[in-house]
Amino acid sequence: MRLNEEMTDLIQTLGAGLLIGCVYGLLGLGIVIIFRASEAFNFAIGEFLVVGSFLFYIFFFDLHLPFLLALPLGLLAAGAMGAIIERLSIKPLLGRSALSMTIITLGLASVLRSSVQLIFGAHSYSFSLELPDTSLEFGSLLFPSERVWAGLLSVVTFGFILFFLFRTRWGVAIRATSESQAKAMAFGIDARFILLMVWALSSMCIAVAGVMISNFGALSFLTGIAGLRAIPVVLIGGMDSIGGALIGGLIVGLCEALVGSYIEPLGLVGFKDVAPYLLLLIVLFIRPYGLFGTVRIERV
Amino acid sequence: MLSVENLRVVYHDVISILNGVSLKAATGEISVIIGANGAGKTTLLRAISGMLDLYEGDIIEGDITVGNSSIRGLDSTDIIKRYGLTYVMEDRPVFWYLTIEENLAAAAYSRWDGAVKADMEKVFRYFPVLRNLRNQKAGYTSGGEQQMLAIGMSLMTRPKILLFDEPSLGLAPLVTEELFRIIQQLNREGLTVVLVEQNAHAALSIGHHGYVLENGRVVLDGPAVALLDNEDVREFYLGTGAKERRSYQDAKRYKRRKRWL
Repeated sequence: MRLNEEMTDLIQTLGAGLLIGCVYGLLGLGIVIIFRASEAFNFAIGEFLVVGSFLFYIFFFDLHLPFLLALPLGLLAAGAMGAIIERLSIKPLLGRSALSMTIITLGLASVLRSSVQLIFGAHSYSFSLELPDTSLEFGSLLFPSERVWAGLLSVVTFGFILFFLFRTRWGVAIRATSESQAKAMAFGIDARFILLMVWALSSMCIAVAGVMISNFGALSFLTGIAGLRAIPVVLIGGMDSIGGALIGGLIVGLCEALVGSYIEPLGLVGFKDVAPYLLLLIVLFIRPYGLFGTVRIERV
Repeated sequence: MLSVENLRVVYHDVISILNGVSLKAATGEISVIIGANGAGKTTLLRAISGMLDLYEGDIIEGDITVGNSSIRGLDSTDIIKRYGLTYVMEDRPVFWYLTIEENLAAAAYSRWDGAVKADMEKVFRYFPVLRNLRNQKAGYTSGGEQQMLAIGMSLMTRPKILLFDEPSLGLAPLVTEELFRIIQQLNREGLTVVLVEQNAHAALSIGHHGYVLENGRVVLDGPAVALLDNEDVREFYLGTGAKERRSYQDAKRYKRRKRWL
């Protein structure tokens, strides 16, 4: 009996880890597609997450639109926000080093965070989507509805993005531009527009993840801290690997859940926030490009 | 007719690369541009194709026209779409991490017509070797195959004028020969070609008209056949001119250059 209970605990933990891992994977994807296109790391991811969620909040809670209408509208708005931010802050830097873009995103993070505080205040907004109940219950196993929804929607969004990147003409153009802006422009691909598209796409990914994370509890400007989870995710998975983002997300999700239910009770409160970074250190010692970082094609 | 008039280009506002280049590439001909390293050949092609911005270069004087309209200052995308002028960059400008087929699809991005598949077939007919490699990543193919892919990609943009920047760079002599045969064939089918080359002999042998570029100026031009026989060109670019052995002192370029100007 005792063994059985422990097994149940373990499965419960693993399942919860995988579900949240899908959301982290989506956050990672938001980072990876921008990194591939411009070699810049978007440190404003947490703020993108908060702003994306608030945009959805406006459509769903303030305007009382049905979820199926509010989500696409919210995402479109998030995409537009990403595009505008790209035009204002990133585009003028085209052709400069990627480091300057990365530093710009640090500044962007402060600006966005303060703007959100100014507009929406510092208090929490209750955020309950009331989606159809999808709780999974097997014996003593229980996966709450909002977690299942989060995993499900994240995987679906991930699938959409993959389809877009690998099966459409824009996707091919994005991947081409990711490799070399100069070559792409020489063949008539408008690299500047592609960069705009990539930022819009990335903000949409992050917004979906944001809405799902807010749905676990409440939304405030501090929800953005969850966005920082993307850092171990992409570094473990490999900065330029799309599949790596998903795997990295799952790994971080599992790591967090396992540490949360087995190590934290020993008295190490808060250790689950640190654990992914420790794991990250170990991974980087063994594979400096991350697990799935591109092995560069070397010609000899 | 592509014509460049008195073109001056400066990088980073200070480094002057082209100091008044004028040339005409007649429709349906192969115009060859030869010159030493740093003469400004690549810059000239970048300026014509609207790629200077990316390299922080500016056209500060002069004009570039296709037919009767000026294309100076236009974006590369516009130039390809509206004037059918495509620039095949040096060093085999293919996307390494895309498959051959995706490379061709990416190059057709600026087009919206339904003939992309048919054009791809046409490229495969030109270069049968690409058909067998269609699902392979371009980075893993040989140099010759990459250069053929690059030409195939430029054909996907439906060009009327093609600018080649040293297509023979780093290729074996046999491959180079085949490449030039292909360029000649494309030209016979109606394409206007501007060919920038270090391999002066091979380029001039397939060209109609030739230009010699030095220090950002055209110092000599004429029919390709005449240039092949020109004593200065033979000495400086073909390595066969000098009859008797000379000392380094005599071969100093500036003396010759003075005569050219």
